[in-house]
Amino acid sequence: MRPINFFLALFCALVLIFPSESMASDEDEFDAVHHSSDGYYLDFLPIGKVELPRILIIRSDLTGYGLRVYPSTKSALRSGEILAEMPDDGHQENTEDVEALINSGKHLDAKLVPIEGTVFLDLSITKHLIFALLASGILLVIFIGLARRYTQGIGRTTAPRGIFQNLFETLVVFVRDDIAVPNLGKKHALRFLPYLLTAFFFILTCNLLGLVPFGATATSNLNVTAVLATFTFVLTQVNGSKDHWRHVFWPPGMPVAVKFLLIPTEIIGLFTKPIALAIRLFANLTAGHLVILSLIGMIFILSDQFGNAIGYGVVPISLGFTLFVMFLELLIAFIQAYIFTILSALFIGMALADHSHSEAH
Amino acid sequence: MDPSALAYLGAGLGTGLVALGTGLGIGRLAGPAMEATARQPEATNDIRTTMIVAAALIEGVALFGLVVAFILTFK
Amino acid sequence: MLLGASLLSANVGLIVWLSIVFLTTLLILRKYAWGPITSALSEREATIATSLNRAEEALSESKRLQEQNAQAKREAEQEAQKLLRDAREEAQVIRDQEAQRTQEEIALIREQAKQEIERDKQRALQSLRKEVADLAILAAEKVLQENLDGARQHALIDRFIDGLTSQEPNQTPSA
Repeated sequence: MRPINFFLALFCALVLIFPSESMASDEDEFDAVHHSSDGYYLDFLPIGKVELPRILIIRSDLTGYGLRVYPSTKSALRSGEILAEMPDDGHQENTEDVEALINSGKHLDAKLVPIEGTVFLDLSITKHLIFALLASGILLVIFIGLARRYTQGIGRTTAPRGIFQNLFETLVVFVRDDIAVPNLGKKHALRFLPYLLTAFFFILTCNLLGLVPFGATATSNLNVTAVLATFTFVLTQVNGSKDHWRHVFWPPGMPVAVKFLLIPTEIIGLFTKPIALAIRLFANLTAGHLVILSLIGMIFILSDQFGNAIGYGVVPISLGFTLFVMFLELLIAFIQAYIFTILSALFIGMALADHSHSEAH
Repeated sequence: MDPSALAYLGAGLGTGLVALGTGLGIGRLAGPAMEATARQPEATNDIRTTMIVAAALIEGVALFGLVVAFILTFK
Repeated sequence: MLLGASLLSANVGLIVWLSIVFLTTLLILRKYAWGPITSALSEREATIATSLNRAEEALSESKRLQEQNAQAKREAEQEAQKLLRDAREEAQVIRDQEAQRTQEEIALIREQAKQEIERDKQRALQSLRKEVADLAILAAEKVLQENLDGARQHALIDRFIDGLTSQEPNQTPSA
């Protein structure tokens, strides 16, 4: 038992050190934010990067709208139709410089500009999209498999069997009984349960994928969380009761002057809720990764500043904290999925409620 | 002085203040929640749910501050 | 700057893609996963609830039956007790009656015996009186033959005998 634990710990440490080390030696500068942000490649760090297809919808005055698909950023630049614009100085690179740019590895940060026309919509596949798709695929496999068990009769009239079914049934029942029913009421809970379950498991899977080696956290991207929050927002407003709207546009029980003061506040309040929802999820997931990368980076910063001896000395401390933050992230993965779902349920429930004014406020 | 230095300073100070406020807020929330749970263990689930929701709302304010700090550092 | 752009920048393409991905996932899961799972769960819960109810009912039913049995047993016991008591009382009554009748019979027999004795005694007295009278007459005859005439003697003896009979009832109880 003990030697196994020891080797496991050693392996984890190696996995944690190795990519970071090669990264540091590759670029000579450790960039935590860059690592956790989105990109047009998959990062298998010690081995290399896999570039993802670029899909661009280009509008030009001559040919109208056109769709351009390239298997990778490299090939897009080599095709001669696209120029790279580096974001730091804003000056356009010439096509002759393309090979040099690709060799420096900075072409992935470049903004693609077509030679004629402008980019109308950049539908390129990104790292976070790949992981969101992966999460979605995992969800489909798990839950359609789970549903098949139920339709076969296991768990329909008998007790659920096996770790797989018991585990996911517990979570499903948790979402239903602890998130949906208390906030939406028994009457509406079933109607919104599919959305809540999908959101919960999607976020949870995305969060957990970020903790897997070579993984990325789709939910640490503000665009992704914004989409999820928008779904909640739309569901909330579409299902808002008459009462809900009256509260926004003509708050009852107030003097008229106060009403005019309250209306803008209420309207802003409609939007701050989903925005807070999006930013909360994004910030929590990003912060965890930044902390882990900063802790790892501490080793290299200190060895740069004070020599290798100090660097090696810091390794156990740094790894210990990293392990702790990893566990914290595991906890946060669940808590944030829970909070996103329960707040969604709460907002929808609040909009649904036909509360009488004598007891509210 | 470089204006971006001031921005970094502001971001750092702001993040610290936001952390302070959030810490106070969540502390004031969690303490009584614990007391309430100890006093009424049968209401634990309700208390925990409302506590987490309230904590999330407080944290939301903190995250707004954090985002402002982000913008300050990146601009 | 590059870093800020990469963390907070909007990527419309990603938003479009992700909306499609999430919506598709939601719709597929709603149709093929959440529907069957939640319906199966609620079905099972309903089954469990009904079987619990049924068990509860069966339990209360059996309790009721038990109660009934106990009641019946109690009643039977009471009945038996009552029967026993009645029988005992009846026996007592019969015994008392028997005793009374025996007593009465004894009294009757005793009475009869007494009467018999009385009759025998009367008869004996009668015969004795006759004997005595005869004896007296005989004796008197004997005396008269020597001293007195018969008529005077006879009157004397009758008077004596009368006096004897009137004395008789006073003498019997002591006998």
